Amino acid sequence: MPFMMKMNKTKLFTIVVILLAFNSITAQSEGLTSSPYSLYGLGVINQTSIGFTNGLGFTGIGIRTDSQINNLNAANYALIPQNSFYYDIGLKGEYNNYSNSTEDESKTTFNFSNLAVAFRVAKGLGFGISMVPYSDVGYYLVGLETNIEGSNETFESNVSGVGGLSDLRMNIGYAVLDNLRFGLSTSFLFGSIEEKESFVISQSAFSSVEETNYSGIRMGLGMQFDLTDNITIGSTIQLPTSLEGKLKRTVVKYLDGSEITVEDDESSATDNFDMPLEVGIGFSAKFMESLTVSGDYKKNYWSETGQEENLGTYEDQDIYSLGLEYIKDPKSYKYGQRIRYRAGFNYDNGYLAINGMKVDGYNITAGIGLPIGQGLRSMLNLSYSYGSKGQIQNILVKENYHMLTLNLSLADLWFQKRLIN
Amino acid sequence: MKNILGLVCCLVLCVSCSDDSLNNSDFVAGETFTDSDIRVLQIDTLTTRLSTMKFDSIITSQGSRMLVGKYSDPIFGNMKSSSFIEMVPTSYTIDTDAVYDSIVFILRYDNYYYNDTLAQNTVHIKPLNEVLKPADDSDFYNSSSIGFDEEDLGTLTFVPRPLEKDSLSVRLKDSFGSDLFDNLQDKTLTDYDEFINYFRGLTIRPDDSIYGTVLGFSLASEMRLYYSISGETESVQYYTDFTINTSSSPIPFFNQISADGPNEYLSVLTSNDVNLYSEDAEDQSFVQSGMGVTTRIEFPYLKSLGDIQGQGTLLDATLRIKPKEGSYNDNLKLKDTLSVYIVDQNNDLTGDLGTYAIMNRDDEEFNNIFYELSLSSYLEDILETDAESSEALILLPSNYSSTVDRIVLDADYENEGTQLELIYAIYDENE
Repeated sequence: MPFMMKMNKTKLFTIVVILLAFNSITAQSEGLTSSPYSLYGLGVINQTSIGFTNGLGFTGIGIRTDSQINNLNAANYALIPQNSFYYDIGLKGEYNNYSNSTEDESKTTFNFSNLAVAFRVAKGLGFGISMVPYSDVGYYLVGLETNIEGSNETFESNVSGVGGLSDLRMNIGYAVLDNLRFGLSTSFLFGSIEEKESFVISQSAFSSVEETNYSGIRMGLGMQFDLTDNITIGSTIQLPTSLEGKLKRTVVKYLDGSEITVEDDESSATDNFDMPLEVGIGFSAKFMESLTVSGDYKKNYWSETGQEENLGTYEDQDIYSLGLEYIKDPKSYKYGQRIRYRAGFNYDNGYLAINGMKVDGYNITAGIGLPIGQGLRSMLNLSYSYGSKGQIQNILVKENYHMLTLNLSLADLWFQKRLIN
Repeated sequence: MKNILGLVCCLVLCVSCSDDSLNNSDFVAGETFTDSDIRVLQIDTLTTRLSTMKFDSIITSQGSRMLVGKYSDPIFGNMKSSSFIEMVPTSYTIDTDAVYDSIVFILRYDNYYYNDTLAQNTVHIKPLNEVLKPADDSDFYNSSSIGFDEEDLGTLTFVPRPLEKDSLSVRLKDSFGSDLFDNLQDKTLTDYDEFINYFRGLTIRPDDSIYGTVLGFSLASEMRLYYSISGETESVQYYTDFTINTSSSPIPFFNQISADGPNEYLSVLTSNDVNLYSEDAEDQSFVQSGMGVTTRIEFPYLKSLGDIQGQGTLLDATLRIKPKEGSYNDNLKLKDTLSVYIVDQNNDLTGDLGTYAIMNRDDEEFNNIFYELSLSSYLEDILETDAESSEALILLPSNYSSTVDRIVLDADYENEGTQLELIYAIYDENE
């Protein structure tokens, strides 16, 4: 019993530290990605998820697992075994290289990726909370040339943006039958994006800072059905929603060398941001006890939202992904045989068309799941992904990136009496 | 298990302390990758209304030089300026053994002149018969007058060399000089009051029949009385100077400036509050220092900037005014800088804008010169004030009380004579 007490204290300490660090984690997640594409919409939408799915080309809708959190389909929460408590913390490191027709630049960023807990409530009923960055904004563009209307002259401005949205999601999974599960997710999307622009024209200078706070709730549904013991299919729907935007703006100008405040932190109306209907289907199939194939297809109906950007339009997005996992023998006593090897591919035809050209991208992923300790379920998941987005032609920027994610997916047994005290 | 939890804590803390200076980049993402969110407009269609007004009189006793001369101007008429000065001796004592020699007036050029300097000029120096006291006890104006004797004390005809030569010497009548000498030697005149009572001053005037140039002479010019004292072998020459009195208050000095027979437009300017709008004067407006003729500038529709859709702000304002082509030449020169003052609706001077309209001669070879005036701060203040502004700007050469420069301005918008160029930024398309 004293041992048990001690365990709980350690656990408590961990949770407190995580909670305390939480604020700074969300703050940190602002501005540390830096794709020029993040100036559109809510920024670059984060693809990485929790745990093992990062190595599998981000597939997971049809993956059935009872040993880890699968955040891509709420229905899977129904499979959390009795007395189990899962938590998952992820970090992400990214090395980006941007190039256009004349220059290129590299950059490394390091970022919080996710935080999640999940546990079983009752038989066939699982519950989980996850916190995942939804999008990241981090761009800085210099020398943006814009025409002065009514003249042949132009002015050069510098624009920058930082911020991003977080997705705090509650998931409930319920098993209706042994082979049929449904899930319900409620996402609270929130965050702010700060955009700055400044320029100089003749003797005067202009500078504006706009901070837009977005918040909204989004509902999602999920389903998983086991065709056989080895084949599972699943589907998800994220319902469209509208994020309420609140704009605060400060405008300062310099006339004849003296600073004049035009607007000081004034609230202003801004358009809400509409999130599209997102539909996904997926499957997973296990062959010869050690090989699992998984595939997802997602369609996001962005064009329905009718939104427009300066030079970009929103168009329907298709995402295809495929994953492969190999494990020699999960129950082996040999550590090497319990290691999971993963590979995946993901193609995304993009939701943005800039000057009529869609910004598509792909990812090739590889991953490894290293079991931790004696238990079967705790795992250190490492994944690497190489991706590319956009193209150099025309005005677009091509972005290549190498991404490493590290997830500690921990399983703990709670509420379980020790046999030996 | 404990180790793992420790590791989690470490990782979390690591992340929360990472450096955020990672996010600086100067990658130029293609020129048209995006547009500025801010629209910047150049607006040059806003009406600038020019008119000419004339101050009833301007104070010339505070001027920095004597202006003497006369010239004929096809637009402004016959310009004439004369100076009125009071002289005081530097010493009231002259040796009893001294013998009167001669008396001269030394006119020192101060480099200012206006119009033709090739023609011969004549100056007349005449004695005043009235004490130099202003009618209002404080200032003399360009229109003031003081009585003087018609008979010359001295006169000189000369070819002006205002830049090459230092001074002119005008011989004055010996009868005047020896009287003055005797009175000082006899101690009849021993102080200022006695002296002024005896000798009220001088007026230095151009010849009415000669049209040449208006010259500036320094107030450090003086009258010099020469005398000699016999020594053992030969006589030694001495002199006493009489300087122009600028230290009394009110200053007993002024320039009398007049314009005879200006054109039909300028002759309507009989009072301070008459505004001769450019549309009534062939799209012209006028400036003439010394006479107090000035161009008045109004922006009657400035507040209509607020009607532009969206929320915006003024970033720059530049007013460009061309001098009227053919109105100037090598003799009738244009001043390179004009001061900008503020007047109220009654045309009373209320302030100095502190900026200048500066001649831009970059394109002079194509006859394209214009005065350029930055008005950003001034217009910003008007835009930020709710009430309609009833004030206006006026243009005058900075030393307007002691110069006689004149300028004709082109107010024609069609001809790009007068144009207000505004740069306006719209940072929110919604109201």
